[in-house]
Amino acid sequence: MSALDRKLLRDVWALRSQVLTIALLIGAGVAVLVMSVSSFLSLRGAQQAFYAESRFAEVYAEVKRAPSTMLARIAEIPGVAVAEGRVGGEARVDWPGAEVPVAARVLSLPISGEQPALNRLRLIVGRLPEPTRHDEAVIHVAFAEAWQVRPGDEIAVILNGRRQRFRIAGIAHSPEFVFTSRPGSPLPDDRGFLVLWANEEAVARAFDMQGAFGEAVLTLAPGASEPAVIAELDRLLLPWGGRGAYGRHDQPSHRFLEDELAEQRTLAVTVPLVFFGIAAFLLNVVLGRMVEAQREQVAALKALGYPSPPIAMHYAKFVAAICLLGSALGIGAGAWMGAGMLGNYRPFFRFPELPYLLPTWLPVLAAAASFAVALVGVLDALRRILRLPAAEGLRPARPAAFGGGPLGHLGRGLGARAKIPLRGLLGRPLRTLLTVLGIALAVPMVVLGLFWWDAMDSMVELQFDRIERGDAFVALTDPRPSRAAREMARLPGVLAAEGQRIVPIRLRAAQRSRLLALTGLPAGAELRVPRDANLRPVPIPHEGLALSRRLAERLGVREGDTVQVEVLEGARRVHDLPVDVLVEDIIGYTALMEIGALNRLMREDDLVSHVALRVDPLAAEALWRQLAERPRVAATNVKAVWLRVFDEVIAGLVLTSAVTLTGFGVIIAVGVVYNSARVALQERGWEMASLRVLGFTRQEVSRILLAELALAVLVAVPLGLVLAQWIVGLILGARDNESFDVPAVISTTTFAAAALVVLGAALASAVVVRRRIDRLDLVAALKARD
Amino acid sequence: MLRRTPMTTAADAAPPAGEPQATGATPVFVARGLCKSYGSGDATVHALRDLDVDIWQGEFVVLLGPSGSGKSTLLNILGGLDAPTSGRAAWRDHELTGADEAALTAYRRDHVGFVFQFYNLIPSLTARENVELVAEIARDPMRAEEALALVGLSHRLDHFPGQLSGGEQQRVAVARAIVKRPDALLCDEPTGALDVETGKLVLSAIARANREVGATTVVITHNAAIAGMADRVLRMGGGRIVAIEANARRLAPEELVW
Repeated sequence: MSALDRKLLRDVWALRSQVLTIALLIGAGVAVLVMSVSSFLSLRGAQQAFYAESRFAEVYAEVKRAPSTMLARIAEIPGVAVAEGRVGGEARVDWPGAEVPVAARVLSLPISGEQPALNRLRLIVGRLPEPTRHDEAVIHVAFAEAWQVRPGDEIAVILNGRRQRFRIAGIAHSPEFVFTSRPGSPLPDDRGFLVLWANEEAVARAFDMQGAFGEAVLTLAPGASEPAVIAELDRLLLPWGGRGAYGRHDQPSHRFLEDELAEQRTLAVTVPLVFFGIAAFLLNVVLGRMVEAQREQVAALKALGYPSPPIAMHYAKFVAAICLLGSALGIGAGAWMGAGMLGNYRPFFRFPELPYLLPTWLPVLAAAASFAVALVGVLDALRRILRLPAAEGLRPARPAAFGGGPLGHLGRGLGARAKIPLRGLLGRPLRTLLTVLGIALAVPMVVLGLFWWDAMDSMVELQFDRIERGDAFVALTDPRPSRAAREMARLPGVLAAEGQRIVPIRLRAAQRSRLLALTGLPAGAELRVPRDANLRPVPIPHEGLALSRRLAERLGVREGDTVQVEVLEGARRVHDLPVDVLVEDIIGYTALMEIGALNRLMREDDLVSHVALRVDPLAAEALWRQLAERPRVAATNVKAVWLRVFDEVIAGLVLTSAVTLTGFGVIIAVGVVYNSARVALQERGWEMASLRVLGFTRQEVSRILLAELALAVLVAVPLGLVLAQWIVGLILGARDNESFDVPAVISTTTFAAAALVVLGAALASAVVVRRRIDRLDLVAALKARD
Repeated sequence: MLRRTPMTTAADAAPPAGEPQATGATPVFVARGLCKSYGSGDATVHALRDLDVDIWQGEFVVLLGPSGSGKSTLLNILGGLDAPTSGRAAWRDHELTGADEAALTAYRRDHVGFVFQFYNLIPSLTARENVELVAEIARDPMRAEEALALVGLSHRLDHFPGQLSGGEQQRVAVARAIVKRPDALLCDEPTGALDVETGKLVLSAIARANREVGATTVVITHNAAIAGMADRVLRMGGGRIVAIEANARRLAPEELVW
């Protein structure tokens, strides 16, 4: 080891606290980078492997009833690789132990008894049903795990009003249900939702679909145009009651997974940059200070004949040592957090295998990225080393030139003690700005961790206290005359019932289009109250549409514009309708109109397809049981259950992120405040020791030195709060997730907590530095200049 | 607070030789048997060895000696910055040895003015503000302008240290030391970093402060030429006072030759 390298080790050791705090910042950046990239790659890897293995379909087309012979026509559409038909439908499960009705999606398996050509199942236990047995079924792993169901167990399903028993032959994963949730719900409810596959004959018989199919699934040939295939598919299926084909992009499980992958990608790019940026700034200050303190050493080395490059390299190695330490910590933490993140994903995303992937290039990339950014931060200091003439360094540095300029006499009217910190801050505006910005950035970090609670509260309040005011939402097996709602109102425990008509539509505005559900509401509905941006109730338009503000923004539509509505049911008529009013929503996209107007549009009688209920809580359980037995009821969604699932699923995730991000906020605040204080003490320790000699007490001297930082913190925290609001808005705005709209709501408590965390971290750092001030060597102040 | 000691204790030991006749009857600084050593075993360095000294009210004393002779250590102990290994030191009725940190700080704050070799001014404060800084914590300070006038810097009040020459900076430091009307003015190599002419300006500022504020003044130097302006010159060597010379007539700084 060369003498310079030994000096390097000793320098690192002498500055160990600063080295550690900066290494932690770098570590946090590396950790987020490693975590988000590795969990992205792991999810993506599992997704690609499973999609390929199971031949996940690329286009889906639901149809009321198409003869099986149509499949050959579909297969001939140019660009179609494989086409397969199947029968499926919604059902209810009579599951003992479930407090609320369990909903099910039933799908057919080929008559041959073999795996389907597309969307193959991955059995984890058991087998497919025997081709001859109509009472055997495979169920999805989510429900099986939630209720500990095993092959051989029996399950009773109400199919199209008829009760049928199945024996479980196997338990499987499916590429269509990687993310499994009740239709319309953005959260998995494994105990309340079942996917069941049975032989085609059994399913077809139950839904009266013999010799026909209700859904076509296809893959495309390489280079095929998806929109062209979809258009042709729609044209072919229109006479048979086609409901509009859609691509994989709109497949619910796939879309949810893609949303999550996109969020990981955003995280991987943005957050590490914040950490690396702050670390680079601190390295700039710390190394700049170190070079300044070691001017004589550098000059002496040069005078002794050392060329400049090895000396500059020596200081670059100091930076490399910090980056290496930070990267080692960050790679370890990032791998641990990534594996933990994947663990968090497992209940959401059901893959047969979800191994944690950490490719070797990732840690190398992360470490290299941190070093590159850090080097940018210290370029200035390195340049000064290269330029320092050998003789220059042997003369003592002149006192910091201060004076002149507009800021020169700032603080008139204040005591001399107050002027020192004020001028210290304003005399180095760039460093002050970066210090303030650095501390300020700790606040949004903590807010980002904590605000989810506020956002979730606000979501629940808006969606479930103000908009959806019913306690349960009942889906009927098919549209019924509106008296069905009035009948339901007479059930014991039902306090109020309102019928709704929901039809699938495709909404078009200029070139953009969107599949969604159009809901018909009775005028003056009380169980579903649409609200405007100020959360005031909006009357339901007589003829036109009330449209989700979020969707309107996405489609580029404003109030008063006309949109094209293609009803994907019945005769599939196309209408031009005005958008009368925009309404707020949180989950999915809302499109509303008056129920009578909707039924006239459909050229149907007074029909309802869903019923919203207000329920007496004491009679609720009995009511759920009773509803479960009514033949025309397809599914009952209970608000209380949804809220419980929401709490269970979200609470854990939010807590993890709150703890992690708060930790990051502390690392930033400590990193900036501690290093700033240490550098201030290194730069001004001599001055401060002089003041101690002149009779200033430890407390007075500490106050003068730390007042500068206190001022910076006091400016930084409010700035951080403003930044937090802005960054949260920015992140949520950039979040392209239609399943959920997270409102940018931050409570005063969250702001206060974030401010306190940062103030606390700053105070703790100040206390540590204060102890160093107490140990100032007074005698040294009399002699040595620096 | 410093412990108050009955005056009899100070008189217990025989006073060292060579007190001046002209000054007050009782010494303000009393040191007896002062020893200060650093390190241990073979590496022990004895900075002071059994040193006795009395310094009188209003006296101008020059401590003269080569590097390592112990003059800085003595000044540090008298200034309440350092503690002896053994022996005792007192200022009037305040015991300096054994006093705690807070008591020594209060002592420096209320009674002592320091002038450093490298001025040690706060670069972000003007000359006036540097002086005010100390005036703010003093009990009965003079006005900063007054202190700066005493050192001949009335025309440089609003200049920052970076805009002043070395001699001017040191005179600001002298003004800062005397603004509190200190009882003792302790100067550690005040001209060490200055050229002759500038050094003389600083020395006359110190002499004037000694005269007009009445502060007992101790100046450390290894420049024998400065000795001429002192009441007494204490020559140090090997941690002891090796000679004491009293000047019959104090030279004005302008008369000094080096």
